[in-house]
Amino acid sequence: MDSISSDAARDGSICDEAIVLSVTSALAKDALSYFQSGKFHECIDILIQLNHKKRNDPKVLHNIAIAEYFKNACSNSKKLLEDLNTVKKQSEEFAKEPLEAVNPGSNVSVSKHQFDSTITTLNIAVTWFHLHQYAKCLSILDPLFLNIEPLDETIALQICFLMLDSALACHDAVKFLEVFGHLDKSFGVGFGTHEEIGSTMQLSSNQVSKTSSLLSSSAASDALKSDLAAAESGLCEEGLEYDNVLAEIEAEKRMKPVGHIPANNLLKTIGERSILTVDVKLELQLYKVRFLLLTRNVKLAKREVKHAMNIAQKRDSSMALLLKSQLEYAHGNHRKAIKLLLVSGIQKELRTSGIFNNNLGCIYYQLGKYQAASVLFSKALRNCSSLRKDNPVKLFSLSQDKSLLITYNCGVLYLACGKPLLAAQCFQKASLVFCRQPLLWLRIAECCILALQKGLLEEGNTSSDRSEIRVHVIGKGKWRQLMMEENGFVELGGSAQWPKLSLPLARVCLSNSMYLLNVSLMNDYSKSDLESPLSVMINETKEASWSDHGDADTNSELKEAKGGMNQDIIQNSLSAYKDIRRRENHLLKQALLANMAYVELELENPIKALSAANSLLQLPDCSKIYVFLGHIYAAEALCLLNRPGEAGAHLSAYLLGQEDFKLPFAQEDFDPWRMNMSSDCEETSDCSTGNARDSLKPEEARGALFANLAALFATQGHYDQARPFIQHALALLPSNVQATITAVYIDLMVGRSQDAVARLKQCTRVSFVPGRLEVRAS
Amino acid sequence: MTIMKMEETAIVWTLLQSDLRPIQDVLAEFNSKFTRSRYFPVCSSLSILLQDPMILRSTDRLIAFAIMHQCYSSVKPSLNPFVSEMINAACNEQAEKYERAFLLHLFQWNSYNNAKEIFKLSAADYIKTFDPSTNDFPELGELQREYGNKADGPSSHMFADYALKKLLHDPDVPRGCDPNSPEFDVQVQPGGISKIGSGDRNEAISGILGSLTMGGLAPRWIRPCPPRYPVHQSELLWIDPDNKHELVWDDKMCADTSRGATVRDLLVKGLKVTLSPTEQEDITTALSNDPKLVYHCGITPRKLPQLVEHNPQIAVEILTKLINSPEIVDYFTALVSMEMSLHSMEVVNRLTTAVELPKEFIRMFITNCISSCENAKQQDKYMQNRLVRLVCVFLQSLIRNNIIDVKDLFIEVQAFCIDFSRVREAAGLFRLLKTLE
Repeated sequence: MDSISSDAARDGSICDEAIVLSVTSALAKDALSYFQSGKFHECIDILIQLNHKKRNDPKVLHNIAIAEYFKNACSNSKKLLEDLNTVKKQSEEFAKEPLEAVNPGSNVSVSKHQFDSTITTLNIAVTWFHLHQYAKCLSILDPLFLNIEPLDETIALQICFLMLDSALACHDAVKFLEVFGHLDKSFGVGFGTHEEIGSTMQLSSNQVSKTSSLLSSSAASDALKSDLAAAESGLCEEGLEYDNVLAEIEAEKRMKPVGHIPANNLLKTIGERSILTVDVKLELQLYKVRFLLLTRNVKLAKREVKHAMNIAQKRDSSMALLLKSQLEYAHGNHRKAIKLLLVSGIQKELRTSGIFNNNLGCIYYQLGKYQAASVLFSKALRNCSSLRKDNPVKLFSLSQDKSLLITYNCGVLYLACGKPLLAAQCFQKASLVFCRQPLLWLRIAECCILALQKGLLEEGNTSSDRSEIRVHVIGKGKWRQLMMEENGFVELGGSAQWPKLSLPLARVCLSNSMYLLNVSLMNDYSKSDLESPLSVMINETKEASWSDHGDADTNSELKEAKGGMNQDIIQNSLSAYKDIRRRENHLLKQALLANMAYVELELENPIKALSAANSLLQLPDCSKIYVFLGHIYAAEALCLLNRPGEAGAHLSAYLLGQEDFKLPFAQEDFDPWRMNMSSDCEETSDCSTGNARDSLKPEEARGALFANLAALFATQGHYDQARPFIQHALALLPSNVQATITAVYIDLMVGRSQDAVARLKQCTRVSFVPGRLEVRAS
Repeated sequence: MTIMKMEETAIVWTLLQSDLRPIQDVLAEFNSKFTRSRYFPVCSSLSILLQDPMILRSTDRLIAFAIMHQCYSSVKPSLNPFVSEMINAACNEQAEKYERAFLLHLFQWNSYNNAKEIFKLSAADYIKTFDPSTNDFPELGELQREYGNKADGPSSHMFADYALKKLLHDPDVPRGCDPNSPEFDVQVQPGGISKIGSGDRNEAISGILGSLTMGGLAPRWIRPCPPRYPVHQSELLWIDPDNKHELVWDDKMCADTSRGATVRDLLVKGLKVTLSPTEQEDITTALSNDPKLVYHCGITPRKLPQLVEHNPQIAVEILTKLINSPEIVDYFTALVSMEMSLHSMEVVNRLTTAVELPKEFIRMFITNCISSCENAKQQDKYMQNRLVRLVCVFLQSLIRNNIIDVKDLFIEVQAFCIDFSRVREAAGLFRLLKTLE
């Protein structure tokens, strides 16, 4: 009875509704077609009409917000976000009401559907993505992903791809796998061997080789020869191969132009019901390679990129080539990387030329060719800005605008070139994207420290006066007096350099960095609670292989040969990556503490310096270099705190017998340091020249130990004990200012002022300057 | 940063040279020209000058000491940061007696309490009128006990404590050469060349005053700069063009919401009556045409039992399609907790062959089946027998199809078979169990 009456009522209302519906849906179609043809004014007019007919329909409001945004040339992202958030809130409120009000009938799901805010949420996430807020984007999409099954395929794909890109940008391998796993299940690409695809690929590559298409053969030969090269480490072979491939490339150019960027055409099909599954397959395969690159599983990536090349064969291989290039870059085969980058053809398109220049710049940086890298990076930035000017209407141009990422690269480059002010500017700009990454803050702190060393800090000295001993010659004749001055302070006359780099800034940056690092470590621990036994095991078994995970790979190869267990490979890859990250974070922590101790000493705050140095020394498995720095900073801080005994204990840790110091660390200790470059890196020598200048030489460190122990003895009045040490120190560091001063001090204390002055005259870094006679005039 | 500013240097130097003015006038002028905050820098400079007996003339030295005393006269002598210098000077055997006596007057040591009187004299007059026979000079220790500063001084750390004066004689000036002897200062004719060694005390002193900086010369510590954190190649950002993540137009706007309306209506009907084969087929086709329709067809976990009772095939169809849904657990729960029937068992049985069901669910379902059979005892023997036979067939099917591992449920199922051994199917199931043992 009840159902009959309600049915009748519904029939009546349906008649009225049907008329309204046909009108509105016609209008909606018009609005969409105007939108698609870029006529946003007309589109908005219609939407406003619709809004009159259907008061407060969130979907209409949503589309108005989108159209308005495009009408204003995508200029006001903030307003878009506000509008979308309002719409979202509204639809959520509406969605609650009918659920409570309407009696359980067939209508529930209809009204639910009407107030579904999935699209709005997706668009909010898209906007954040374009604003480079990747973590935020992920967190917004998370709830959608949790309930992704009911969503339409296109929307679901869009959500997943957005999440994958964001996870890659955040280096969040775990999240990436979660999303990828879902796609994998739905679209069946799978990791490792995929039997059906594999067989078809086999087939196609056979055909291909018959028709002598070059890309696949080059891919195959690449793999083969690189294996050979790895085995024999023959450089001549590399040359051979290089020529071969170049010839192939030439031949291929003649045959057919390389297709341009894939640009992931698949999302163009929005609105159509189905998506070309092949495209999704290629896409997923490419993402798989990117995951393996992220987790630095170079060997597996190499194999997977070959699959990608095979899938891409029929259409567009530039993305696959680009990834192949990245792979060679990650592997340290820089020449090959350059070659592949060129073959990918992305430089030909305006949209991607900036990316091309940036990536080439990265390669040149690794080759130690900073000048070239700098030219390339600025070219890339120019590409980006011209892109912005030309093509403002399309939103994607915003995300295609990679200038902030390139700016970060510039910062790294400038820092390496010893230009701290420029570098800091770059890092500060890039902080829009990277402000949650501890490394960025360490880099800014390093800029401050470098600026301090170069005398570029505002409260510091000009470079000419920096760390020099100045002896003022005052008076004449029998009245002539010498006034010694180390670090003569000279006011900086109006040097209004932009960045306010300073030591207090460095201190703030370091503590920011430490904070972020601890937060991320804490997250890792809480996440990995369950799998910690596993990771410990991996830690033990894979001590030796952290640049590329050799053991895991051979295992995975075995497993793959059997076919299956792909999930294991991925899990291995993931846990190996976690392991790498853990080590990197550990190293970062050491660096942060050492820098903190240094900065606190510079700021004359020995208590904090001591606590930083002690924390550094308490870290397990510390690098020898940082152990040395920890000891030396702790000793100095203890001296400043009038605790010479403890200070001496820190220094004498390195004593050999009575009067000699061992080298506190060896040059090899810089090796894990010198990028975790894989052992088969071709251009190792090039890389090393790039980095050598930044490092502390073991002999210098030994000299510092001598000088500091001498200083310690001297302050305690043990001049006889101090003298041999300072002699050693000066032998190792003949023009060191601090050691010279200590030596002079000792000379003076034992009454040898003649010797002291002679020493001053010998030291190359002493300048005798006339006294300030102008006083007399006043 | 030098201690004193240029103009301060000039003032101090003029004051020091005022040897003919009464000392108290000089002090008054000093007070008027310097604020309290400048006392320390000025006194530090003076103390450095005073360390060398040769640099300042004796009258200058007296004035310098007077200033150092004056600056801190309002506090106890032991709080004067320069008290140890003054004590040392007062006890210095080599120093002139008038200077030592002057310092003792400043300290008001025993009988030396004439400071006020002396200040009325000029420095030059004081020296002239000084009685050289005075001999009553205290030991260093006595003065230190009396005035020495017991608390740690202002110096902050050991480097500073051990800091050395920075002023050296030029080694080219011969040792023992007395710069005060008039020998070198022969008046040269204006424009003439000055004699080697001639020099100007004024120039030297104001030069020193003008260049003095805080702090002494201390042993220096080498503080190596931490090496830059290595740039891993992954730190440089290699850029891949990413997908075009465009804003999405909501094409559900004002769209026909009748999507699946027929299916929904049919399903509402299906909750109450068994649908005709054509109706069932309509639903199946619609569901397979639109894979997402199942999420919008209106069958909630709460309604599932009704659907199972009337249209088990459709229920299987829907559950199979919902298998990836996050809500599938709720559907399973509904299935487990509904009243046991031929249909519910049929649904589960069919599901086991269509999709992989969670082990936990199957286990719970079987337990439920068994307890339903036991509870049916009170109602109707016939119904109970029927139910038991159904459960036995169901279990045999599950075992034969390897859906369940008998080991998990062995005891439970065995007990069930023994309980109902009167039923033929139960005996059969028991035999099956025995063969598997």
